[in-house]
Amino acid sequence: METAMDPNASTPAPRVVGFLCDWAVNSEGLINADGTMLGFPNVTLVLVPCSGFVKTGWLDLALKSGAAGVFVCGCPMGDCLNREGNWIMEERIDQLRKRLQRQKVDPERIGLVAYGMHDRDGFVAGVRAFVDKVAGITPAPAGGKR
Amino acid sequence: MTKRLWLRLQSATLKADVFINRLLYQDFNPLYYTGGLANLFLTVLVITGILIFLYYEPSLEGAYASVQFLTEGVPYGVIFRGLHRYAADGFMIAIFVHLFRNWFTDRYREARDSQWISGMVLLVFSGFAGLTGYLLVWDERSLLLVSMTVQALRSIPLGGNWLATMFLGGPGINGTTLPRVLALHIAPAMTLYALLWWHYVRLRAPRVWPPAVWVLFCLGALFFVSAVLPATSGAAAQPGSAPQSFEVAWFYLWPYALMKWLAPAWALALIGVIIAYGLYIPYSIRETPAERGLRGLGQATVVEENCTGCELCYYDCPYNAIYMVPSHEPGKSKAAANRKLLAVVVEPRCVECGICIGACPFEALELPRLLDKDVQEMIRAGAQAPAPAAS
Repeated sequence: METAMDPNASTPAPRVVGFLCDWAVNSEGLINADGTMLGFPNVTLVLVPCSGFVKTGWLDLALKSGAAGVFVCGCPMGDCLNREGNWIMEERIDQLRKRLQRQKVDPERIGLVAYGMHDRDGFVAGVRAFVDKVAGITPAPAGGKR
Repeated sequence: MTKRLWLRLQSATLKADVFINRLLYQDFNPLYYTGGLANLFLTVLVITGILIFLYYEPSLEGAYASVQFLTEGVPYGVIFRGLHRYAADGFMIAIFVHLFRNWFTDRYREARDSQWISGMVLLVFSGFAGLTGYLLVWDERSLLLVSMTVQALRSIPLGGNWLATMFLGGPGINGTTLPRVLALHIAPAMTLYALLWWHYVRLRAPRVWPPAVWVLFCLGALFFVSAVLPATSGAAAQPGSAPQSFEVAWFYLWPYALMKWLAPAWALALIGVIIAYGLYIPYSIRETPAERGLRGLGQATVVEENCTGCELCYYDCPYNAIYMVPSHEPGKSKAAANRKLLAVVVEPRCVECGICIGACPFEALELPRLLDKDVQEMIRAGAQAPAPAAS
């Protein structure tokens, strides 16, 4: 089974919240009953009808609630079923990152990935890369004290 | 079984997109501009068509000679004729790639039925305009095609003879036939633009034109093919001595090829069935709410008391499903107190994608079956869950 955790590490794996577009990666069997991602007990996936559905406020909320990172997964750019969803999301995330930077929060805690319904392996690898990146960011997440 | 096949087709289509994205920068992926490419070819067809029209003489005696004069006597005439001929092929190729790509990637049903239906009508009109183009050259093939058309029309049980007479302008081929065919070539082509309006009316930002690099490439390819393989006519039409076979231009003349195997009436019936099925496709899949899952969360609803009239949802909705109307009373929230406008969802246009919800910072829009507070709950649960210790 896939795992995001480093067997040599003793620190807990960072909590990550991910928004997954229903039209992007096929989520069948990818999400456990408790909402976590198969093989990634530290990653909670929220299924959404389109990546453009995600409010930047929700990304902010995830960080404020204690998540170390939050990502949105849409369809490959250009392939959005709704034509514009992932482009719009990209713009919104750009703006949110600038805002976070002003608040002294590392904008790398916000991720945007894009994988088609056929590319589950790519998605799993992308999530692992994001979790690893977030784990390397210091200081630790604001945990609601921001 | 069928569902699995569709998923495979969808997956394969998306894989092709991603593969081309690896070869080219995604902004230049031609699969993202199939409709725009069809528009490019249509524009070439219209411009070259006008030039050809200036030389064309729609009479039995003069038609063939006028096309020959354009080809041989007019400087670069052969290129213009070739551009018209090959752009028509490019037009059909682009249309079919557009059609299959949107079909296989599920962009044809529910709120998108209007684009599909208008697309089918566009396809029929394009095919018809292309087909009549082959009659205008007035060579042996044209003559045979006209006689086959008449035969097919006469095979229609009710009103067939009347249709054939209307098509020819009399009981047989006469001086008014070619002007009628010319009208049947130009009128459907002009109608395409009205139909394109219908095709685009629900789209906020339709991509109607391909990137410059593809415009240049397609124009270059058209000029190259027109020069290397000049479009030519067959022998002049001689009434009474029509040949029994002809070279089939498959994009437009396949209905005539059908008549080799089927009686004209059956060929017409088959074409009718294909068109009818094409129009039925968007309504062929009926899903239960459970099957629709996240694709059926209910149409976006405006929470009027929170709407500030900021227009963000209006600009982001890809389907032109949100209109801003004058607001006659203030909203209840502080931000909405001085609003001048109010968002209204045009329900038949809403595909339930939720992009407007993502656009709204004022919690003034909701998808009824996935509310803001429910998403927030999921986020908090995910973010606050005790982090599993690394093993």
